[in-house]
Amino acid sequence: MNTAPSSRSPLALLVGVNLRQGWRRLLALRRQSRLLSTMIVLFLVGYAGMAFKLFQIGLRFAGSFPGLGPVLIERMVFLLFAFLFVLLLLSNLVISYSNLFRNRETAFLLPLPLPPEVIFRWKFIESTLLASWAFVFLVAPLLAAYGLHAGVPWHFYPATLLFIALFIALPAAAGAWLAVIVARWLDRRTFQITTLVLAAAGLAWLAFQLRPVEMSEEALETRVLVVLDSLLARTRFALFPLLPSYWLSAGVQQWAEGALAAAGFFGLVLLSHVLFFGTLLCTRMGRRFFEAVSHVQSRGSALGAWGWFRAWQERRRRWRARRGGLEVLLGWVPGVPPDVRALLVKDLRLFWRDTTQWAQSLVLFGLLAVYILNLRHFSTQLTNTFWVTVVAYLNLGACALNLATLTTRCVYPQFSLEGKRLWIVGLAPLGLPRVLLAKFALGTALSLGLSLGLIVLSCRLLQLPWDRTLWYAATITIMAFTLNGLAIGLGALYPNLKEDNPSKIVSGFGGTFCLVLSFVYIVGSVLLLAFSSPWHPTGAYRAGTFVAWGVFGLLSLLLGWLPLRWGRRHAERFEY
Amino acid sequence: MIELQHLVKRFGDLVAVNDVSLTIGRGEFFALLGPNAAGKTTTLKILVGLMKPTSGSARVAGFDIQRQPLEARRRLAYVPDFPFLYDKLTPREFLRFTAELFRMDPARAAARAQALGARFHLESYLDLPIESLSHGTRQRVAIVSALLHEPEVFIMDEPMVGLDPHHARVLKDVLKEQALAGTTVLVSTHQLSVAEEMADRIGIMHQGRLIAVGTGEELRERSGTRGALEQTFLALTAGGPATPAAAAAPAAAGP
Repeated sequence: MNTAPSSRSPLALLVGVNLRQGWRRLLALRRQSRLLSTMIVLFLVGYAGMAFKLFQIGLRFAGSFPGLGPVLIERMVFLLFAFLFVLLLLSNLVISYSNLFRNRETAFLLPLPLPPEVIFRWKFIESTLLASWAFVFLVAPLLAAYGLHAGVPWHFYPATLLFIALFIALPAAAGAWLAVIVARWLDRRTFQITTLVLAAAGLAWLAFQLRPVEMSEEALETRVLVVLDSLLARTRFALFPLLPSYWLSAGVQQWAEGALAAAGFFGLVLLSHVLFFGTLLCTRMGRRFFEAVSHVQSRGSALGAWGWFRAWQERRRRWRARRGGLEVLLGWVPGVPPDVRALLVKDLRLFWRDTTQWAQSLVLFGLLAVYILNLRHFSTQLTNTFWVTVVAYLNLGACALNLATLTTRCVYPQFSLEGKRLWIVGLAPLGLPRVLLAKFALGTALSLGLSLGLIVLSCRLLQLPWDRTLWYAATITIMAFTLNGLAIGLGALYPNLKEDNPSKIVSGFGGTFCLVLSFVYIVGSVLLLAFSSPWHPTGAYRAGTFVAWGVFGLLSLLLGWLPLRWGRRHAERFEY
Repeated sequence: MIELQHLVKRFGDLVAVNDVSLTIGRGEFFALLGPNAAGKTTTLKILVGLMKPTSGSARVAGFDIQRQPLEARRRLAYVPDFPFLYDKLTPREFLRFTAELFRMDPARAAARAQALGARFHLESYLDLPIESLSHGTRQRVAIVSALLHEPEVFIMDEPMVGLDPHHARVLKDVLKEQALAGTTVLVSTHQLSVAEEMADRIGIMHQGRLIAVGTGEELRERSGTRGALEQTFLALTAGGPATPAAAAAPAAAGP
């Protein structure tokens, strides 16, 4: 206590103390295992390099259509940023809600002599950083490739960085504002219903927007511009001039073309909105935030004002005395003893009641479903066996990547989420190793159900024969077992019993490692299987095919089984 | 120093705090008892400004916690049953951070930290990461950080949780000294022995209502019991614990 406290503002104090915490977490990560942290860094660099190369090839391909290339690229940039804007908004909403209303630091700060505005500002900054770093990481290789493709001057890159910094503040502000509104007005059940309705409406709208257009052969050959125009019309929503993604895309593209004044205009549009909404958020949200905190802790159901809802709740209360539907359903599954069934019911109920855990996965799988459903129209154009095979493998990769997101985001934290309650299941006669196996079985069953459905649908829509459909189904099944084994095993090897927030558990060392290994496994496996495929035009069943399948099987077994085995051993000896 | 006037807090249909009025004077040690879900923690949360009352008012050191929250909080210290600490900081850094938040004079903060640290035997832990400390040691760090700014009102929820008998004794002594020096101390506890030994007055909450307030003797007289406070407590709360819904309502509130 020898150093005099500076005249730092409370916000600076909070930022400082959290920066120090963050820095020490990074150091601890490095100390934990140099090899693993090096692997993570290599993966990140590898991803950036690979993404850059892929974007470069894609841009070169799209730009190679005479006369149409620049139009296509322009529209793709608008579309990409429009979708990323929506995803950023959702991500900010979820993270802001957790950070503002389910965070122990917030509860600690509220009784201190800090104005609620200061606490809100700090939590806003923290949520923005947590929600947006992945976006920056994702678009950086794309913008680098775009810059190289367009032959831009050096100042394009710092200018783009500035544009992005301004852009991410807008979905962050909207997300934080929405989080306060949600907390103030919606209880858990109303929020869940609203999320499901909005997700369904969003997916229906997307399916409508991306519906196929019937074109005659003649039109495709002779009236290319008309056809292209009608195709681009479906994506015109990305050009809505009030969308922040429009200002970003237009600004970046104008700067690349040397139209600095026009780009500057869009930069100023972004800046003015950031300043306006930022000022509103920093000066007017403190009281609303505090009221929302109070409501979150005090509220009965928002639907409770309606008589029919109260009557329904009363009926449910009577039903609750009996066994629930979930228990009855699991009771029908053969070979599940009552103690395991109780654990599974508990896990399923907790998962369903924590909306933040499943909402993002729902969006990801929904988008993939919309894409796959659209294949039924696309497949009639796919007469070339080569492209059918390529699309089938791409679908396998997309399904597997979604699966990996699900296992890392939802399955990996399951062991840690027992947290301070670990003694309940740990001391039960069930034993922790069986707890792990039960969680593995549950995660595999649910994620496999979703992935298998999507891959079979994809194969049917590509009109693949049954033997190949079966092969893709078997592949995704193996991947589901592997990825779930990896997630559960690493979750037990690197538990974080102090944290209740699954997104923070995942962002630790073990979660990052799980994500890295999952992605490397998927990319490696899909490439291996695709290049040894016997189904492309020049391919045939040969020794290499079976070797590749064997390597895939062995790799899957090792990557899934070994962490699960180590996790089980760790659970046997676990001290808590 | 603490004034609650007709305080009411509803969770939907449930009345968690029902028309509670109470005045605790300067330098008084007040213990709040009650069965589970009686409304004690909700009352404390309203008092420290974590929750808004449905109606009524709460004043701390003469300031309305809703209308003049910053003035009230500057004079207040609150230690919840499971306090939050920054895991990657050391106790020394955490205490410095707290002192800066309260804008304390550095020399005074250093002297207080040293004195309180010595009192709670924290010297050898001051430079270790908080994450490496035991539950009891963390609790002691939280108590020292709360007392650092010399609060006029000190509120604790289950003060003895995690403390060994030795440090429980130290805490009792410190609290008594604080009260003698003019600090208003309010503790919510299930440990009747703490209330009996330490408190100038005891309040008993049951089903959201403050059903009895007085010294141990006054409460015995009122309940018609003799001997240990336990008999008095059981006699006054004979209706049994509050409904489970009272405990469940706040937890089920958010998405």
